[in-house]
Amino acid sequence: MWFINLSLLSFKQIRRHWLRSLLTIAGAACGMFLFMTVETFQDGLKNATEMQAGDDTLVVYRDKRFCPFTSRLPEDYSNKIAQINGVKSVVPVQVIVNNCGTSLDTITFRGFPEGEFHNYFAGKEIDSTLFDSWKLASDSAILGKEFAQRRGLKAGDRFDAAGITVRVSGIMESDDPQDQNTAFVHLDFLQKSSKRGLGEVTQFNVKVNDHTLLDQVAKEIDNTFRYDREPTHTRPEKAFIANTAKDMIELISFTRWLGLAAVLAVSFLITNTVIIAVRGRVIENAVMQAMGFQMEHLTWMTLAEGLFMGIIGGFTGIASAYLFLSTGNFAISAEGLSIVFNIQLETVLKASILAMIISFVAGIYPAFHSIQGNLVNRLRSH
Amino acid sequence: MNKTLISCQGISKVYLKGKQEIIPLNELDLEIIQGEFLALMGPSGSGKTTLLNILAGIDSPSKGKLYFNDQDISQLKRRQLTSFRAKNMAYIFQLYHLIPVLTAYENVELPLLTHRMSSKERHKRVCKALELAKIADRADHYPKQLSGGQEQRVAIARALVTDPPLIVADEPTGDLDQESAQAILTLLKSLCTDLNKTVVMVTHDPKAAAYADRTLFLEKGVLITGDYNVVH
Ligand SMILES: Nc1ncnc2c1ncn2[C@@H]1O[C@H](COP(=O)(O)OP(=O)(O)O)[C@@H](O)[C@H]1O
Ligand SMILES: [Mg+2]
Repeated sequence: MWFINLSLLSFKQIRRHWLRSLLTIAGAACGMFLFMTVETFQDGLKNATEMQAGDDTLVVYRDKRFCPFTSRLPEDYSNKIAQINGVKSVVPVQVIVNNCGTSLDTITFRGFPEGEFHNYFAGKEIDSTLFDSWKLASDSAILGKEFAQRRGLKAGDRFDAAGITVRVSGIMESDDPQDQNTAFVHLDFLQKSSKRGLGEVTQFNVKVNDHTLLDQVAKEIDNTFRYDREPTHTRPEKAFIANTAKDMIELISFTRWLGLAAVLAVSFLITNTVIIAVRGRVIENAVMQAMGFQMEHLTWMTLAEGLFMGIIGGFTGIASAYLFLSTGNFAISAEGLSIVFNIQLETVLKASILAMIISFVAGIYPAFHSIQGNLVNRLRSH
Repeated sequence: MNKTLISCQGISKVYLKGKQEIIPLNELDLEIIQGEFLALMGPSGSGKTTLLNILAGIDSPSKGKLYFNDQDISQLKRRQLTSFRAKNMAYIFQLYHLIPVLTAYENVELPLLTHRMSSKERHKRVCKALELAKIADRADHYPKQLSGGQEQRVAIARALVTDPPLIVADEPTGDLDQESAQAILTLLKSLCTDLNKTVVMVTHDPKAAAYADRTLFLEKGVLITGDYNVVH
């Protein structure tokens, strides 16, 4: 019971220096906002790199090229690849990115031959009826849900990016973040619209009969084209994505420290404010102790002050980050690999618990400080 | 005849300042009777506050025994002493020491917040204490909206709310004008006569001491009983 009574008292103490408290709460909010954003970055990155990259898929790229702009391979390589032992299917893919650098609003066009969508999406849970209407027109595109939401597009709409104009024939839901910011189009249409010319593709997606054959088949493909005009570099899809994501991983991993710093800053800020508050109330505390308040009562009042400010500020920050990230549909892309920043409920939970822990911890030193020293001396200290 | 509330037997207090020993109280004997209004006088530094703190269970004597209702409280541990204070005593300060963010009502309620009690019972007690201290009409005021005399009335209501047998007051009128001081003293006196409270008050002012049933003089840690004017 005293627990609640004294919490209410702490709440009144917070209002005593309302500007100071408000600034602290605002600081805690900013810190937790930053933490949430960084965590969401990290989640997005993890999602993108731990995607269900096919265990039996190889990606054939132009050797020593790293961007879809510069990887150019003749489409007819697919015939030779198909003849290699252990190859189950070959899908030539043209990838056009509206922005090859790192950007927050990217769309990746992926073109593949009309009949190959089964092979392209093999192993993924995709609504295949979407492709019935897609097949009907050469300029039709199926959009990833994330991108469609961000741009507010629905079936029947036209949109253009990177000089390519398409008509939306459907919106696709997929668990794979790589599909979220993609427009799937017809290969020949994309080749014409991008002025790359027919017969040129960015990569081949090769499925093998058995994943134990991955290395062997990759080697054989690269050997086949070693002395051609466009030599290839073939890797398992997982390694391909990990390599593409390398720079981003480095960049985003670094932000983990930002998140940690934000959390520490919140903690220090609250500690500072509560300490100042407690120092201004030495006699008040002593008077309460004189009237029979025990150590746990005084300690709790100080802890509650930190907790309240931390929780109010923390939850404000978490809520604003949630609104910001979930309405923004942000995604970052580099070299055709996209990372989608979808706020996870788990992140909200994690941040909430963390906010409570740090605001509790923030009050420990001030609470200790508030009961330090001899009661008689503190009563005399005016 | 009322019984003895407090009995001090050979109480001493020693402070160490470096190698120097300060002895504000030296082998002091004292009996205080329930319902009595006792004034403590003496020059600055004579140990009045130190004695008051020991009587109130805020400080412990270095030597000697202190019985409160026949219970030896000089040996109590800090925690027990705190519980003792919560039940048995209340302190009134010269500078009131009300909490500025709380209204008069909430200030009076403060000592009850750690007690096991229904909010209805608490409300009843606070209202009664405010009425006894004749400050019920200012219940919703904050300390800064009150005069010194009114603040001290709130402090007295806060002292009464736990219904303790002992109330100690360290120069309760030291910061008040004469008129307010007289009103506060009358109120303190009535606590003894009407409610059978024991009040021990430190004062510099002989006029204030005149309200008490008995006045004791402290000088260099030793008690001298009698009339101030005769002693000096
Ligand atoms: N914590 C302390 N440490 C050392 N000396 C103290 C302490 N508290 C009080 N004293 C000394 O004890 C003496 C009595 O003080 P006090 O009881 O406050 O006197 P009074 O209230 O009569 O003015 C003074 O000499 C004072 O300096
Ligand atoms: Mg004094």
